[in-house]
Amino acid sequence: MSNFFQLVRNEQTKLYSQLATWIMLGILIVVVLGFAILMRTADGFVSDYDDATWKQQLQEENESLAEFDPADSNILINNYRIENDLKPEGMTAWEFLYQGNYMTSVLSLLTIIVAGGIIANEYRWGTIKLLLIRPATRTKIFFAKYTSVLLFALTALIVLFIFSWLFGMLFFGLGGDGSMLQVKDGEVVEISVWTRIAQDYGLQLVKLVVWATFAFMISAALRNGALAIGTSIFLMFAGTTVIPFIYDKPFAKYVLFSNLDLTQFTTGMKLIDDLTLTFAVVTIIVYYLIFLVVGWVLFAKRDVAGH
Amino acid sequence: MTEPAMQLIGLKKQIGSKLIVKGLDFDIQPGEVFGFLGPNGAGKTTTIRMMVGLIRISEGDVRIQGKSIKTDYKEAIRHVGAIVENPELYGFMSGYKNLLVFSRMIPGISKERIDEVVKLVGLEKRIHQKVKRYSLGMRQRLGIAQALLHNPSILILDEPTNGLDPSGIREIRQYIRRLAEQENVAVIVSSHLLSEMELMCDRIGILKNGELISIQQIQNTEEDTPAEVVQIDCPAAYHEKAQRLLQEEFGIIAMASSEKLTFPITREEIPSIIKALAVANIELYGFAVERKTLEDKFLHVIGENVIE
Repeated sequence: MSNFFQLVRNEQTKLYSQLATWIMLGILIVVVLGFAILMRTADGFVSDYDDATWKQQLQEENESLAEFDPADSNILINNYRIENDLKPEGMTAWEFLYQGNYMTSVLSLLTIIVAGGIIANEYRWGTIKLLLIRPATRTKIFFAKYTSVLLFALTALIVLFIFSWLFGMLFFGLGGDGSMLQVKDGEVVEISVWTRIAQDYGLQLVKLVVWATFAFMISAALRNGALAIGTSIFLMFAGTTVIPFIYDKPFAKYVLFSNLDLTQFTTGMKLIDDLTLTFAVVTIIVYYLIFLVVGWVLFAKRDVAGH
Repeated sequence: MTEPAMQLIGLKKQIGSKLIVKGLDFDIQPGEVFGFLGPNGAGKTTTIRMMVGLIRISEGDVRIQGKSIKTDYKEAIRHVGAIVENPELYGFMSGYKNLLVFSRMIPGISKERIDEVVKLVGLEKRIHQKVKRYSLGMRQRLGIAQALLHNPSILILDEPTNGLDPSGIREIRQYIRRLAEQENVAVIVSSHLLSEMELMCDRIGILKNGELISIQQIQNTEEDTPAEVVQIDCPAAYHEKAQRLLQEEFGIIAMASSEKLTFPITREEIPSIIKALAVANIELYGFAVERKTLEDKFLHVIGENVIE
C-alpha cells in the first residue's frame, strides 16, 4: 500500500512540476474573478433591496415573473418572504460560492486535460519505458495515475471554493448565514448553504468524474492525449444535443447522455419521461466501470513498442 | 558454475504472422559484459524490450536471477536497471527530481544513494538544472544514474555511448568494465558501433533477422594469443590431401574455395603447419596470416545487410 501511495505521490510531483498545471489553476482563478466582476457590474444580476420598499419590489418581481411562467417557484419564495418578513439578502459571498457550481464545467475541462495527458504524455515523452520497468505492476501504475487525476480535480475544486468565497467576500460582502429558501413539493423550506452546495456541486461532479474517466480511458488505450481530450470535451458539451433526436427510441434511456445530467431529477425536468433516479445512477455506474476496465485492460496488456 | 544472471529460453516474438525474434537461447553470466550486435531490424530492441517486460513474450521465457519475467515480474525486474533506446527523462524536472521520482518506485533507496549515483556519473554540478537544458551526453549519464539507483545485478544499456564525445565514451566504457569486474554486475549493451563493442564486451552475440547467428568471445588482454586466420594458396588438386592432413595432424577443418584454403589457427602452430605441408609435398604458392577484426567477422556472418 505504501508502494501505491508513493506512486500517487510521484504522479502529483510530476503534475505540479509542469508549468501547464499551474497555468490551468491560474485560469480557473481568473474565470472566477471575471464572473465576480461581471455579476457586480452587470445590471439585473444583483438586485439591491431597500429596507423600506423591498416588499413592494418583490411584488413587482412576481408580476413580471408571472407573465412568463405563472408556476415559477420564485413567486412562491417571494410570497413566503413577504409573509414571514424575511428581507432577501441579495448577492452575498455565500450566494456567489453557490453560484460557482456552474464553474464546474471549467473544472471538468481542466480535469479532462489532465486525465487525457497523464498516460499519453508518458508515451510521448518516451518515459513510459522507464516507468514500466520498475517493480510496480502496470495495474498499480494505472490506478495511481487515475487517483492522481481525481486528486487534481479535488485540488482544483478546493481552489475554486476558496477563491469563489474570497472574491465573493470582496465584491459582495459577507451577509447572512447563506441559508436559502427552496421550493420542495410545493412547500417553501429553508435549507443551509452547505446542503445546497453539496447537492448542486455533487451532481456536477458526477459529470466531471465520468468524462475525466472517459478521457483517461482514451489516453490509456490510444496513447494520444489530443484525441482523448478532444473527444471527451466534444462529448461532454455536445452529447446532450443528440437526445432530442433519439428520445422516443427504445434504446434512448440506455444512452449515457440521457442519464448523466442528474439535476433533471431535482428540477423535475426529465429528458426522457420514464427515467428514474435509480436507473440513471445504475446506468452511470455501468458506463463508468466499462470506461475504467477498458482503459485498465488495454494499458496492462498492450506491448510498449517503439515509436 | 554460478547461476546465470539472465537466461533466455527459446525466446520468440510473433507479431501478426511474422516472427520477429525466432527463438533465442543463451545465458549471461554475472560480471560479464555481453554485447548485442546486429543491423537495424534484426530484433535487438524487441529482444531487449522482452527482457524488461515492455513487450509480451510469444513463446519461451526470460529468467532473471532464476525468476521468470512472465510469471514473477516484480521479483525479476527488481534486479534490472535499464535504458531502453534513448535516455528519455522528464524534461520539466531537474535531474535530481527525476532520480527522486524513480527512487520512490523501488523501496529502500536512500537520499545518500541518490547522491552517490549522481557523483558516480559525474553530474554533481548540473543535477539541479532542468533536464530539458541537458545535452544528450548529460541525459545519457542521467539515464545511467537512474538505471543504477537500486544497485541492479543486471544492467541493460541500449546504445550507451550514443551522443557522447570521445572522452565521454571512454569514461562510460571504463565505468561499465568496472561495474562488471568489481561489482559483478552483468551488463548487456546493444550497439552497432563494432569497434566500441570490441573494447567493452567479453562476449558478443550477433543477431540477424531475429536469430542469434553467432556468439564471439572477445579477447581484451594483449597477452592472449590472438586467433589467426590463415589463407593458403595452392592448386585445387592438393586441397583434399591438405585438408586431410590438417584434420588428422592438427584437428583443423579447412574451408576450400577455388584456389584457396582457409582455416583458423594459433600463432604457435604456424611453423609446424608450414613444415608439415612442405613435407607432404603440397605445392604452396602463398601463405597469408590475417587477424580478423570484429568488423570482418561481423560482416562475414551477417552477410549483406538485408532486412527481411
